[in-house]
Parts: sequence; C-alpha cells; structure tokens
Amino acid sequence: MSRFFANGSESESESSEEEIQATNFNKASAFQFSDDEEEVKRVVRSTKEKRYENLTSIIKTIRNHKKIKDIPNTLSSFEDLTRAYQKALPVISKEENGITPRFYIRCLAELEDFINEVWEDREGRKNLSKNNSKSLGTLRQKVRKYIKDFEDDLSRFREAPDQESEAEDEVVALESDGGDAGDDSDAGVKPTEAVPKAVKSAPAKAAPADDDDSDDSIDWDSDSESETESSDDENQYQNMRERFLKRTTEKEEKDDDKRKDKRKEQKTKIRKRAEDDEDGEWETVVKGHVVEKPKMFEKDAEIDVPLVLAKLLEIMSARGKKRTDRRLQIDLLFELRDISDQHNLGTAVSVKIHFNIISAIYDYNQKISEPMKLEHWALLLEVMQSMMKLLLANADIIMSESVAEEHEEYATSPFYVRGCPLAAVERLDDEFVKLLKECDPHSNDYVSRLKDEVNVVKTIELVLQYFERSGTNNERCRIYLRKIEHLYYKFDPEVLKKKRGELPATTSTSVDVMDKLCKFIYAKDDTDRIRTRAILAHIYHHAMHDNWFQARDLVLMSHLQDNIDAADPATRILYNRMMANLGLCAFRQGNVKDAHHCLVDLMVTGKPKELLAQGLLPQRQHERSAEQEKIEKQRQMPFHMHINLELLECVYLVSAMLLEIPYIAAHEFDARRRMISKTFYQQLRSSERQSLVGPPESMREHVVAAAKAMRCGNWQACANFIVNKKMNTKVWDLFYESDRVREMLTKFIKEESLRTYLFTYSNVYTSISIPSLAQMYELPVPKVHSIISKMIINEELMASLDDPSETVGMHRSEPSRLQALAMQFVDKVTNLVDVNEKVFDMKQGNFFQRGNMGNRGDRGYNRNQNNQGGNWLGQRRDRNNRNRNQRGHHKNNQDRQQQQQQQVQTIDEE
Amino acid sequence: MANFDLTRINCQFLDRHLTFPLLEFLCGKEIYNQQELLEYILETVNKTNMIDYTMDTRKRLNLSQEMPEELVQRKAEVLATLKQLQNEVAPIMKATDILKNGESMKDSKTFVNALQKDYNFKVEHLESAYKLAKYLYECGNYQESTSYLYFCLIVMSPNDKNYLNVLWGKLAAEILTLNWNTALEDLTRLRDYIDNANFSTIQALQQRTWLIHWSVLVFFNHPKGRDLIIEMFLYKPLYLNAIQTMCPHIMRYLATAVVINRTRRNALKDLIKVIQQESYTYRDPITEFLECLYVNFDFEGARLKLHECQTVILNDFFIVACLNEFVEDARLMIFETFCRIHQCITISMLADKLNMKPNEAECWIVNLIRNARLNAKIDSKLGHVVMGTQPLSPYQQLVEKIDSLSMRSEHLAGLIERKSKQKQNQESADSWKYY
Repeated sequence: MSRFFANGSESESESSEEEIQATNFNKASAFQFSDDEEEVKRVVRSTKEKRYENLTSIIKTIRNHKKIKDIPNTLSSFEDLTRAYQKALPVISKEENGITPRFYIRCLAELEDFINEVWEDREGRKNLSKNNSKSLGTLRQKVRKYIKDFEDDLSRFREAPDQESEAEDEVVALESDGGDAGDDSDAGVKPTEAVPKAVKSAPAKAAPADDDDSDDSIDWDSDSESETESSDDENQYQNMRERFLKRTTEKEEKDDDKRKDKRKEQKTKIRKRAEDDEDGEWETVVKGHVVEKPKMFEKDAEIDVPLVLAKLLEIMSARGKKRTDRRLQIDLLFELRDISDQHNLGTAVSVKIHFNIISAIYDYNQKISEPMKLEHWALLLEVMQSMMKLLLANADIIMSESVAEEHEEYATSPFYVRGCPLAAVERLDDEFVKLLKECDPHSNDYVSRLKDEVNVVKTIELVLQYFERSGTNNERCRIYLRKIEHLYYKFDPEVLKKKRGELPATTSTSVDVMDKLCKFIYAKDDTDRIRTRAILAHIYHHAMHDNWFQARDLVLMSHLQDNIDAADPATRILYNRMMANLGLCAFRQGNVKDAHHCLVDLMVTGKPKELLAQGLLPQRQHERSAEQEKIEKQRQMPFHMHINLELLECVYLVSAMLLEIPYIAAHEFDARRRMISKTFYQQLRSSERQSLVGPPESMREHVVAAAKAMRCGNWQACANFIVNKKMNTKVWDLFYESDRVREMLTKFIKEESLRTYLFTYSNVYTSISIPSLAQMYELPVPKVHSIISKMIINEELMASLDDPSETVGMHRSEPSRLQALAMQFVDKVTNLVDVNEKVFDMKQGNFFQRGNMGNRGDRGYNRNQNNQGGNWLGQRRDRNNRNRNQRGHHKNNQDRQQQQQQQVQTIDEE
Repeated sequence: MANFDLTRINCQFLDRHLTFPLLEFLCGKEIYNQQELLEYILETVNKTNMIDYTMDTRKRLNLSQEMPEELVQRKAEVLATLKQLQNEVAPIMKATDILKNGESMKDSKTFVNALQKDYNFKVEHLESAYKLAKYLYECGNYQESTSYLYFCLIVMSPNDKNYLNVLWGKLAAEILTLNWNTALEDLTRLRDYIDNANFSTIQALQQRTWLIHWSVLVFFNHPKGRDLIIEMFLYKPLYLNAIQTMCPHIMRYLATAVVINRTRRNALKDLIKVIQQESYTYRDPITEFLECLYVNFDFEGARLKLHECQTVILNDFFIVACLNEFVEDARLMIFETFCRIHQCITISMLADKLNMKPNEAECWIVNLIRNARLNAKIDSKLGHVVMGTQPLSPYQQLVEKIDSLSMRSEHLAGLIERKSKQKQNQESADSWKYY
C-alpha cells in the first residue's frame, strides 16, 4: 500500500466525531468476538459447521500469510483451501442450494487482489527473495485457473460485496463462529460499497477499487493507531490485537441491533464523506503535512522540549519489545525530528533524536551476523553525518556516555546529552565491511559499494574531530584506530615521491598521518589491544611504502613475536598480514634473507590463504560446523584489502631459491645438511619425481625450473625463467617499481649463481681466472673479487687469491675415510655438548628475558640477537662459532615451525 | 669537513662547561666561521658565572675593552654570594680539617657520626656545602669544587635528592681538571648508581645517553679507557641500546676505539654487525671504512675511506690524539685481510692500497715479517709478497673443533659446580636460621 494513500487517508481522519465512532465500532466488534467465543463451547456442530469452520480457519491463515507477504505459505494454504472446499462441496450443494458461500468468494477475491497488487509492484517484486518470487508465479497461475470456475460469483461479489455480506453476516453470526472472521472483515469492506466509484468499476478493474477500499478501511480504525501500512484485512487483526489488549468481559451481552444501528450510522457518514472526497479528493492530501502532528501530539498541544522528550522516551521505550514495529519506530523518530526542527527546539534535542534514530536503525537488523539493508545503511550514514555536523557546529553540546540520564540538559547551554557517537560510528564501519563482504568482489556492485568508503572515512573524520575537541584519551585512541584501519592498507604514491625529493618535505603524506595517529596511541593508550593493532598497522604501512628499516625496528621493538599467540584472532590476522607485507618490503629492498624469514611462517603451513583471512580452505580432517564457518566468515578480510597470494608465494619461493641453492651446493656431502625452506624443497622434489618435465607454465614451475638452472650455475637461464613476460604479468608487475625489482633480482641471481658455480665446480679446478668469471656472469671484476673474498674469509671456499695473475687458486684436500669418520664423530660429540648446554640453560631459566626492561630499552639487544641467529625470533647468543651458529639457527627454525603450527592450530580451534 | 662534524650533536649531551674545550678546539680548526663561533662561546659563557672568561672572549671578539657595567655588577654579586656561601660552610670545613687527621676519617659512617657528635653538624650544612660546590663550579673554580663535592659524597646518603647531581658534578669537575684517574672512578660510581636506581625507562635512557657522551672524554684520555670503552659501549646491552636509539653517532668513537685496540680484534665482528644495523641512521667515513673492508671486501673503497678518516679524526676533539695510531692500525687491518685471502700480492699494488710509497710499503712488510706477525716471504725479483699459507688439513680442523669442545664443557662444568655450591651455601644458611 502506497504511503501516499495512507497519508491521504490519515488526513481524512480529522474529525473527532468519526474517531469516536471508529473506536466504538472497534469495541463493538471486539465484544462480538468474545461473545462468539462463548458460543463455540455451547453449540453442537453439524457437518456444515465443521466444513465451514475448516474453511474459515484456512482463510484466516491465508490472511495471516498475506499480511506478512509470506507467499510460499499462502500458496500451500490456498491448496489446502481448495481441497477443503472440495470436501465441503456436498454439504454446500445440499445446504446452500449449490450457491458458493459468500465468505469463500470473498476470500478468493481478496487473494486475487492481493496477487495483483504484489505482481504490479515491480520494485517490491524485485526485492522479494527467490523463494517468494517463485511461489508468487505459481500462486498467480493457480489462482487464475481456479477462479475461472467462480467467475460469475466473483463478478457478482465485486459488484455488491456489501449487501449480501450483511445478510450473510447475520446468518453466520447466528450459525457459527466461522462467520465471525468474515463478519469482521466486513467492516473493512463495507465502506467500499459506499464509494460510488468502486461500485461503478468493472470487476476487471478490481485492483484500484480495492486500493481505495483499503484506504478507507484504515480510516475506520487505524487512525488512532497511526498505522501506515495495511491491507484491508489488517483492521481485523488490529481488532484482534485490541481484543487481546483490552479484554473486557463484563459488557458481554450487547445487542446486535445496537451494533447494527451504529454501523448504519457510520455507513451514511462515510458515504457522505466519500462524496465530499469526490469533490475535493486531492486537496486533502496537501493538508497532510500540517495535520501530521496530531498523531504525535495533541492537536493543540504546545510543543516544547519536555514534551518532545517525553514523546521520544515513549517511542524509545517500545524498543526491543517483541511486538514493536521497528520500521514504524524509525519513521516516527524521523517525524519527531521534523517536528522538533519546525519548532526550533534547539540542537541538543535534535542531536538526541538523531542519536535515537541511529540506534533505532541499528535495532532494525536483529541478526548481528547479517548485514543490514543497503538503504538503511545509507540512511544511517546520512543521519550520522548530520548529527556529527550538528555536534561540531555547536561546541556547547556535550555528548558522552558518561553523562548520566538524569543529568541530561537540553534547555540551557551547555547541553548534556547521553550517547556515544563513537560506538555508533564503529558499528557503522562494521556494517559497511559486512555489506562489502556480502557482495561478489568481482562485480560492479562491489565497486559501487566501495565508493561509499569515502563517506565512511569522512564520517570517521567528523567523529575524530569531535573527539579531538572533547574526548578522553581512550575515546580518542579508539577513533584514531578506526581511522588507522581505513588508512593502513592504502598505498600513497606521494610518500615515495617525497622520499625521492620530488615533492617538498613539508607535504603531508599518509605516512605522516599514520605516524601522528600511532604515536598518540602509543603514548596514551592503556588497553593493550589498541596499541598492538596500531603498531601492526603502522608497520604494515611503513612496509608498504618501502620504509624497511623503520618497519623492521618497529617489529623488533614491539616484541610482538613473543606474545602474538595470546592475541585475539583478528589481531593475529593483522599480524600475519603485516608479516606478509614486511616480507614483500624486504624483498623489494633486496634483503632476501629477511624476506624469507618473514614469509616462512606463513608459507610453511601451506595455507597462507587462511592465515591471511582471504578465503576459507576446505578442511580435510573434519568438516566445520555451521557455527564455526559463520565465525570464520566473519573474520574474512574484504576483497579490496587482500594481499596477492601468488605474489607472496612467488617472492617466498624466489628468496628461498636464492638462499637454498648455494647452500645445497656448498654442503652437498655434508651429513648434517638441513633444509632452509621446506616448501621449496617440496616443490623441487615433486618436479624431480616427474618422468617428463615440460616447459614451465605456472609460477611455481617457473621458479623450480629456475632453481634447476641455478644449480648448474647457469644464471642466464635462471634469470630468464624468473623474469619473463609471463612472470611479469603474473607477478612482478604488481610491484610499484617493478623495473627496479627485476633489476635487483637479476643481480642477485648472478651473484648466487656464481657462488653456486664455485661451490659445485671448485673441485674440478686448481685455479680460475677472475676476469673470465666476471665475463661469464656479466658482473664487474671488483664485485666478483669481493664475493670470492667473502667466501674465503667465511671459510666456505678453500682457496686463495693470486693477485699478480688475477686467479683464484683452490686448495681443497679431500679427507680420507678415517678422517671423515673422525669428523663425523666430532660433530656428534659437539651435538652432545650442545644438548647439555641447552639443558642447563633451560634449568637455569632464560636469563635474557628476565627483568622488565622497557620497550625502547630492549631494542638494540634484541636486534643484536636477531642478527646473530639470522632469525626474527632470535633466542640464542652467538659465540663466534660458525658451526654453532648454523645449528642454533636451525634450532630456531624448528622452534619457529612449532610455534607456527601452534598458531595455526589456535586459529583453527577458534 | 663540516658535514662530518659532530660537535653540534655532542654538545647537546654535554654540560655547558664541558662544551668549552670542544668549542675552543673548533676555533683552532677553521671549519666554521671564527667570528660566529666566538659569539656562540660568548653566549654560552654568559649563562655561567665565569666573568673572566667572558671578558677574555669579548676581547677576542674585539668588543670594547672596557668592562660593561652589568658585568662589573655581576662580578661583585658573584663574589658576594661566594663569600656568603663560604661563610655558611666554614665551620664545618674547619671541623673536617681537624677530623681529617684523626682516626674517624677511615670510613664515612664514623666520620659523619663524629661530625654530628662533636661539631653539631646538621643537614642544612650539607645543603650549603652542596650549593657552594655548585657555585664554585659555575664560576669555573673546578678544583675547589671537587673538594666540596667530595665532602658531600662522603656525608650524603645515596637516597638524598642531590646525590645524583653531586655525582654528575664531581665527574664534570674531575674531567675539567683533567684528573683522569679520579674521573674514571667517578664514572664507574655514577654508572653503578644509574644502573641500580629506579628510573623510569625514559629517564634511565636519558641518563645513560649523557653518561655515554661524558665517558667518551674520559675513555680517550685514560690509559685503560680503550678497553673500557669497548666493554661498556659494545658489550653492555643497556648502553648499546642507548647508543642505537639515542645517539648512533657514538658509533664513530666506538669504531675508532676498536680499530686502535689491537688486542680486541674479536670485538670487530660484533661491531660490524652493529654498524650494519645502524647504517641507515648513521654513517661516516670511519664506519664506512670498516664496512668496506669487512662486509664488501672492497679494498679500493677502504683505501679511499681511510683517506677521509684522517681528516675526520683530525677535526674531532675526542679522538684527535689517536690519529696516528688509527692510520697505522687501519693499514694493518687492510693488510691482514689481504693476507688472509691472497697467496701472492704485488708490492706496488699493496702500497697503493695502503696509501704508501712502494719503498715504504716494502719496509713496512719487512718489519712485519721480522716481528713474526706474518708468515710470508718477499720475492724482490718480481716484487711480490708470497704468503706462506697452508691449507687447513683435516687434522687441524679436527683439532680446532675439539679445542672449542673441551673449553665449553669445562665452562659448563664450572657453571654447574658454582650453582650447586650456591645451593649448598643457601641450604646451610637456611639451616642456621632455625638455631
């Protein structure tokens, strides 16, 4: 039912006399109900009654379903109805001489109207759920087919729905309680007949006529109820409700006659008015706006602050109750706002009403896990923004949670309002994310939804301004964090331009903003969670803009690695995202080792997708319960914040290759060789197992092929496998300065290939010329010199340089069998001593972690350790012993893996 | 060379009086505009009570010969205050003089007791002694100031609010009187106090930063300082943290100290790690030299950096005295590294890398060989130095590994023993409790 009509009808309900009548009538019908109920117990029922009762009860349920537009159920009930009618047919033909009962016809007519109405309403039809719209089609077809049999009856009924019904009314009232439903709805239908227009209209044009009549029906009883939406059968239910509400039994025996008289009276009145309507039908609508308020307030009541507040309280007190119509509540509040604006009740009241509108809209959606409707969200955004503008424009309004309800002040400045814009904006943001997650990330829908992000950020900015003006530190921290969370994952090219000096140093970039916000949080926050999240976001942002050192220092200073396991899943996800980005940053900056360390945690489990909350993986061992899946879905990142997984994996594999291949070459015959990267090994092995290796297709195959080329020191092939057209489009072009990265990669490949070559083939040479090596690897001679020098110093290569001839002389001596065995034995003994020391350390307790040194104070120490272990979770001290160092490193590796597994488990568990 | 000058940064962490030597040093170096420097000195001096020094600076600036009225007035004021303070402290000082000869001087407790008993000593006296010391210091009379501060230190309880100030004052005064031995003592005392006091993290960090800067002055002047500076800056995590977070420029002094300390070559490895970590916040020719030599093995680069190092050191007040040593040791380092990776080097190339003439270089190498620091021979026909390196035999490798093993096991055994002894002691102590 369109609002327009509803409004129009409301306007008509002006006259108080009518109102009284209406209420009287309502009462009357209510009494009738009760008296009928009494009858139920007394009357002995005949077959006819039984059948009729059956029919009417089905009709009743149909009405119910229609009212809530539950079409599938309407359909099933309709089927029941036809069946029941079939059953009742013999009785009818016997008792009623084959004339179809009125109420049955009426029901059919109503149903038809209802279907037409729904069908016509294209907008509404679009919004219907799939299930609903499907059953609507079936229902429509079925009903059309079915009513062909009753066409005559129907047309007769439409021509004169009232006259006979009245007669029937009597009959039914006397005979059975089944009639009472019909009788009652009668009241709604009757006026229709009064409208000459409706009478004239042909049965085919039933729908508009029906519209009319339902409008009128609102007149009848809903004017006191301020109902906006109804169909003609609604009043009946309102009556029903009233019946339950004011259940009075004492005036039981009222005369039917009396009632009838009254009804007649009304009828004439209505007729009169309808005639009036015909003349000045449309003018009344114009009046609508002025006359609206009697609905809210007494007609001539003076509208002032306390009154509005009282009304507000009245509306809001219905909040949360089961029967409250939530949409109605929102509308009422809007109306109240308009009224208060009209009467200049001050901004404080307006703010209060705004705030209540916001909470009413939030109430509308009762399920937390599901997103609210888009139009509601848009409305919310609008209200939120206007409220914040009001708050910002009026410095004398203080809105806070801490204002107790009895201390609220609306009349004089400074105003105190209870409420929390912070919570509101946080919820707004959450709902926005939910909305985003709801739609398909590859559709245009997502893009258009994403455009609202700007508005969300704007709103947050408004709230932020408000809290910067007046807010406790905690509140400021919270709103700052909100802003940070909208900021941290966005790349700002100006940062890099500024770094290169293309922009003046004074331009403020997103990094500066982040710095400012985060530093405030570091200093002022007293809940650990906000600080942790701020640090993580800060690191993420730095890493994104290639501020590798700042990002690294923040990671090390914050000691997040130690206690991230204790954090909540959302923070852990952020940690994982941060680590992924840090790894990418390290890679871009040419710190391959660090890149590997950052990423190994994510990749070793084989499910980075899950760890980064970018999608659910099918689980092998046990299926998720629906509950668990719901929780996990809630945790997912919206698509626009995702980190490209292929890029991540590629970076990881390439850095693993750069580390692992020279290492394999150097320790080819070492009994204690360990893997640096398990994942990389798996890839290598699976490719080796293949009987026939084709040209590489996927990213992984490319890396594996490159690794194989590198193992023989063939840098050219290796570089071609890593940097080519296919890999560019797949991976490398995703970087901001992809050319620089590619260049760096080629350089690293050359160097590491050279090292691999020297390791692998040094036993074949007695001397190698440095210039020829330089030529082979297209590296400058000093670079080759430096690489070889480093290998000699680190005792990786048993060789020495011969300066005059510019050659490297090898002096490798193969140990004899006895010597080799002895070496192995020594290694084992060393192991034993290591274990002993470890046991002692454990008993002693880790004395490095004792004492509470401050955040900042710890930094260098921690960093040193890290470097020694070459490890982000550094735990052991270096003792100038290379072997031990490697071992320690490895041990840490294992530890880390364990830790990783734990982390994964905990995420799984939750 | 102004871009490598650290005076500006260092002065932030030094006492006003301690900056004068630095500034005066700069005056002689002509890096900055002389006039501006003097004006700056004057400005600084004006904030102290050193009227004579002010006059002197004014003279050097060629300001009017006459003493300005306000200075005369201030001088009188200063003298008056001094007199008054001295009067306040006089009785106590007299008593101290008498007691000094007696028995009670042995330790501070008996001394304080004696003072209180015989001479009616009160806390106010201590307060005024402290004030006087401070005033004397401000007037530039460091010698006398130290004696009063010494008195304060003895009498004061470590919980006194002025105790820290006294310690700082004493250190500054000792440095300014060039009393390095006592300065070193005071330094350790102050360090212990800072490490043990309950500062907030930030306060402690600040105190340490100051201490680091002041101690540089002591360490480079005290004969033992070169070991101690490595010990304190590199191997005390708290101080290393302070350097990394607050003043990475101290790396220059640390690096210098490591280079000129031949006995602590193993510190080099740790130092280089730190340098690499901090390379993004601080770098100067000295750290870059080490980086070139030990990270990139870029001998050409190292040579160039060594050249730059000389000018940097020449212009740095703290380490100017170590210039020759530094150059010598840096050369040796280059040469050593060279030897480790080469089996044959031409002398001319070596001379080039070491910034020496070929003849000098040959001489130098001959000396090294003679002193048995180097296992090598000179082939003068070809102009080569041939190293006598021998490939590491498996036997040697074995021995090396086992060597470290026995060391470590011994260490472990020692630790365990100590621990068990401790436990026993504790137990016996516990058992005595019940008697």
